Amino acid sequence: MSFMPHTIEEQAAAMREDWPSFGYRFDVKRDQAVWLGPVTPHNRTYLIEVAYGIDQVLEGPSVRVISPRLTRLPGNAEGSLPHVYNRDRDPVLCLFDPAGAQWTGWRLISKTTVPWAIDWLTCYEFWLMTGVWDGGGRHPPSSGRMFTAENPT
Amino acid sequence: MNFMRPTGINPFLDPTDRYLAEIAFTVQLPPSLHAKADGRYAATRRHLEASAFFADGIEHFYPQGSMAIDATISTRGTDDEYDIDIIAQLSARYRRLGPLEVLKALEDALADYPVQEVIRQTRCVTLVYGDRMHLDISPGFRDVGTDERCSHIMHAKGPSRSDDDHEVPTNAYGFAEWYKARTPVELAVQEAFRRKWEDHLQVQADADVDEVPDQTPFVVKNMATLALQLLKRFRNIRYEWLGRKGRMAPSVLLAYYAARSATPGQTLTDALLNLCALIIRDIETASTLDRKLSVRNPTHYDDVFTDRWPDSVQQQNEFAADLRMLVEAIKTLRSERTDPIEIPGILKRLFGDYVVTDSIRRMAKATGSSIQGATQSYTKKGGLLVPAVVAATPALATPKIISPVAATRHGFYGDPIE
Repeated sequence: MSFMPHTIEEQAAAMREDWPSFGYRFDVKRDQAVWLGPVTPHNRTYLIEVAYGIDQVLEGPSVRVISPRLTRLPGNAEGSLPHVYNRDRDPVLCLFDPAGAQWTGWRLISKTTVPWAIDWLTCYEFWLMTGVWDGGGRHPPSSGRMFTAENPT
Repeated sequence: MNFMRPTGINPFLDPTDRYLAEIAFTVQLPPSLHAKADGRYAATRRHLEASAFFADGIEHFYPQGSMAIDATISTRGTDDEYDIDIIAQLSARYRRLGPLEVLKALEDALADYPVQEVIRQTRCVTLVYGDRMHLDISPGFRDVGTDERCSHIMHAKGPSRSDDDHEVPTNAYGFAEWYKARTPVELAVQEAFRRKWEDHLQVQADADVDEVPDQTPFVVKNMATLALQLLKRFRNIRYEWLGRKGRMAPSVLLAYYAARSATPGQTLTDALLNLCALIIRDIETASTLDRKLSVRNPTHYDDVFTDRWPDSVQQQNEFAADLRMLVEAIKTLRSERTDPIEIPGILKRLFGDYVVTDSIRRMAKATGSSIQGATQSYTKKGGLLVPAVVAATPALATPKIISPVAATRHGFYGDPIE
């Protein structure tokens, strides 16, 4: 493994190779590389945005579903929209456990974040149909914060 | 001889196909019960041949209807009752007894048979087993000098002889052969269902529920038959839910249309839509002429599949309306705009509550456990496939569909539950 994490250029090259249907631009205002593309995990086609800046080497890329709008199940045991950050305003998919060392900047977004987003969307579709999240994972306690490693399993 | 077997499409690959295939899997006769049914009708024949009355009097004892074409599903709106239809071809010497006496003789010979109940019906004698399997045995006579197994079966309501008692022309064997010739084995369908049953039986064995047979000799072999099973289930549920009285469109009629609309290589969804379209078209044509639908056995002109249904033009129009509803619902399922939250409700209205809930739960659990174990694969369009689907996908199609990106383990996290 290289001493340095993958550069944005390396991430962009891998994305082009693995997910050629994703478009790429560098958003200067946000200082982030942004990929936008369709995935069809099971039923529907979702347009997802993957954003990644060099300051996200530890916290990981942020993934949003641009369309269609995510459906919620109020009162569900897993929460009205499980396994996201910023649920009530601008949900960002939470694709890895920060306690698990699953993401690092030395891994490629095309081989982690994108397939993990497909996993999330697949679980989400079945969750809408059954009310049960079958993809595993855990929820932080109500006092939990984003990107901390509290209560590791 | 240059003989090409159609490869077909894995029915668990396309998302809409996958729901439908899971539902067909849930309602179809399990391989273990198929083997049990085979054993039961062989034992019944032995019992009859051991009786004084039918000694040396049984020429053939063979499955007819769904059992003969591997299309058996649970009975009417039930989830675990199966009707198995058998023709008992008797020696001509019994024919002079007349329909009612032949049925009564069969009933008498089976009176002490170790089943829960023996019931004489209008055209058969039904053996009711403890596990709710029904064996319907229709006594019949071969018509001498005619094509293979052209026969007559008995029709008599009883309890006394009546002017209405008569013999009904049939050639169940000929029809089954005709059906099988028009619905060839599609290897991808056969392989997908073989794996599906083996996985299912393995899970059951792990739970100490059942024994895993060495092999699963029976599986549905093509999309046409899967579509037929789904259509029969839909017909049953409509009758059940709407509390309709009278006869349903007979299974043999639906099988006739399934064979006619069969096109090897189509998706399950298309197979079902094409099957519906063909029936709707024929009913519309008949209704336009103010006639009842009339369909005959293609292997025996005198065998009329529509002899007891439809009762009226209105009844066939009612069925056509049901089929249009099915078509619209399938199109909604397939639509990109349909929110997954609507899917269970749509499917339950078509195929029944328990069967759909069970099918979707099974799909969800298989997918979830695959994600947790990182055994899934991805398609180039960003789709997710569980291992059993990938394994049963014909090798030629795989590089076109499957992405080289491999699954890796990860755990979902997020905000606390509100």
